[in-house]
Amino acid sequence: MLEPKPMSRVLIVGHKNIMNDTVETLHNLNVYHIEDYNEEEPGLEIGKPFESAEDISKKLVKIRSLSNYLGVKGDESVSEDADKVWSNLDDRLNELDTKITEKTEEKSELESKLKDIENLKKDLQPLSNIPLDLDLYRGYENISVFTGTVKENMDSLETDISDITNLYEIWKDPDWNAIALFVYKDYAGQVSKILSDYSFKELRIPEKSGVPKDILSKSEEDKQSIEEKIESIDEEIESIKEQYSNFILASDELLSMEAEKAEAPLKMATSENTFVIDGWVPDDEYDTVVQSLDKATNGHAYVSIVEAEESDEHEEHSEEITPPTEYNNSKFAKPLETVMDLYSRPRFKELDPTSLIFIALPLFYGMMLGDVGYALVILAAAFGVKKYVNMESLKPVMNVLIYCQIFSFIFGILYGEAFGISLGTTHAGVPPWSPEPLYELFGATFESHGHGFLSGLIPGFETIYLFEFPFTNEMVSFPFHRPDAVLTLIVLTAVLGIIQINIGYVLGMVNVYRNHGLMDAILEKGSWIIIELGVLLAALGFLEYAPTTILGLAVFIIGFAMLFKGEGVKGAVELPSLLSNVLSYARIAAVGLSSIYIAYIVNEIAFVMLSPDTSILLAILSILVFIFGHALNTVLGVIAPGLQALRLQYVEFFTKFYDGGGKKYNPFGRIRKYTE
Amino acid sequence: MAAEQFAMIDPAGYKAIGAGIAVGLAGIATGIAEKDIGSAAVGAMAENESLFGKGLILTVIPETIVIFGLVVALIVGA
Repeated sequence: MLEPKPMSRVLIVGHKNIMNDTVETLHNLNVYHIEDYNEEEPGLEIGKPFESAEDISKKLVKIRSLSNYLGVKGDESVSEDADKVWSNLDDRLNELDTKITEKTEEKSELESKLKDIENLKKDLQPLSNIPLDLDLYRGYENISVFTGTVKENMDSLETDISDITNLYEIWKDPDWNAIALFVYKDYAGQVSKILSDYSFKELRIPEKSGVPKDILSKSEEDKQSIEEKIESIDEEIESIKEQYSNFILASDELLSMEAEKAEAPLKMATSENTFVIDGWVPDDEYDTVVQSLDKATNGHAYVSIVEAEESDEHEEHSEEITPPTEYNNSKFAKPLETVMDLYSRPRFKELDPTSLIFIALPLFYGMMLGDVGYALVILAAAFGVKKYVNMESLKPVMNVLIYCQIFSFIFGILYGEAFGISLGTTHAGVPPWSPEPLYELFGATFESHGHGFLSGLIPGFETIYLFEFPFTNEMVSFPFHRPDAVLTLIVLTAVLGIIQINIGYVLGMVNVYRNHGLMDAILEKGSWIIIELGVLLAALGFLEYAPTTILGLAVFIIGFAMLFKGEGVKGAVELPSLLSNVLSYARIAAVGLSSIYIAYIVNEIAFVMLSPDTSILLAILSILVFIFGHALNTVLGVIAPGLQALRLQYVEFFTKFYDGGGKKYNPFGRIRKYTE
Repeated sequence: MAAEQFAMIDPAGYKAIGAGIAVGLAGIATGIAEKDIGSAAVGAMAENESLFGKGLILTVIPETIVIFGLVVALIVGA
């Protein structure tokens, strides 16, 4: 349970003529984690891909670019017959390619036409109010034509020109500040000087004939028809996508598999006639691998287990061939592996704490949120997301959230809260909120509970006082009203922290013992437990429960000395972290309290405005406040307790024993999704 | 005159002010500490997304400061 899956290093050796069968078999089994061969040794070199590799990757590139262009999305319901897809893959792929190429070419042609029209429009727009045929702008022998825009006053321009000559004709468009000026060519030089004073900018006259206004309105029509055509092409492409998307998904999968197989020799060591595959197989799969290979190659493949070298000296060297880690957890704890991967996968020789945080994470979360109402809402949301959001990576996260809500529900009953409303009787003025004002609103009568107690949501559910908690002198009751027993809650969470931290130290001892031996384990991790014992004894003595002050101090010093020997100055510096780590668990109480106070205030604001003579508007407002307030608190109720519970695992718990940095077990093969 | 005014303030008020200061200052301290770590963590994540877990952990480490403040506030208030 706490161990990753046991693995063995398995070497497969054979003649090259069975290489294909071997690769095929291993790919189908999907259990063999190939260790890449990358040291060149004399006589052994990295293998060459099978001949088919080039062809396959070409097709794969084609299908992926098509898939990308069409935006094909994964669809779990797709399940095609592999042989059928494979047999006419080439034909259909070419067919699809031609269709798409045809359509895209057509489309890009239309798009370039559209662009031409846009450019024409830009050129002609300034002249649109000048009713001259474009032919009239060119082809003169004795007249110079200036067409363009000016920045400054157009009226004074005309007077300036008439000062030089009156052999001119000018057309103006005041909207665009555009002019078309025809001047006898002898004056062209002088006129152009004047024009430059007016910041004249020449316009290009398109090689077309006709009045600009007409050309523009015609091009507008053209533009519309082109746009319609493009739209219909897009529709056609969409229908091609629908027609072929199953094929694309299935053939992408098949080709990927073939590509993996064809490129497998790149991971192997090969000599002229033989090949060697080095890798890892889970122990329980070893027999299957041997049998399947025997069957596929008629016993020509030689499979053997390589015993791990047990020596510390080689540790640095053997770093490259550390086994991959595959989790080995029960089905229920599996979703928590996502939480582990988020931090770092355990190394092969390390304990895998997934099963422990499977309990601790939801427990801490539940202690923080602890509300029946929120638990049910989030539970429903999590199931909804699982059902309707088609994302593989979200599922484990939702499962973790569901575990968390189960604990949240249980603690909700222990705390007697639903949406911050008290289930049982409660004090006035402190959370959880009593729904008594609501009862009054509907004219309900209720018996007096005495001592300022108000009714809860469940009639007859009286708060029972159980006992006075030692140290804090607060009464422990059922349901447990958190604001009434804050100190008790802090003490309880600290105790929880001490328990988890010590589990961490024990696991740490096991880890160190495995890698460095018993002595180091006791000095590095055991010393912390001895230090804690010393502190406990000294504290008991100090509080005069037992005469152990001196003994406690002595134990503490022994522990400290051991720690110093084990970890050096680093250990000594970290000593105060023991206190801060334990106190850190007080966040379980603190985050919970903040949540319940927010809920209390939402209820208070929502229902304070209700009275028998409330207007309908106010009643609606009150309901809105209730819904939005609690929606906000629900979202906060996922984020805050979630992150804090996670942090307690990562920072307070894992730092005691966990290194991580394991390699992912990534077997050669593929789980088929779209083909059978 | 001054003594009379002091006497009029409810002692619970002092407690509340003390608790408020404890949480408030601790919260500011946490914020200051987290802002640097957080921005560095986001930067690291932009380079390598698998650092999310480590970044998250490093970012929330100073959170303990405000928890201390909150614990003090709760003890003062209780």
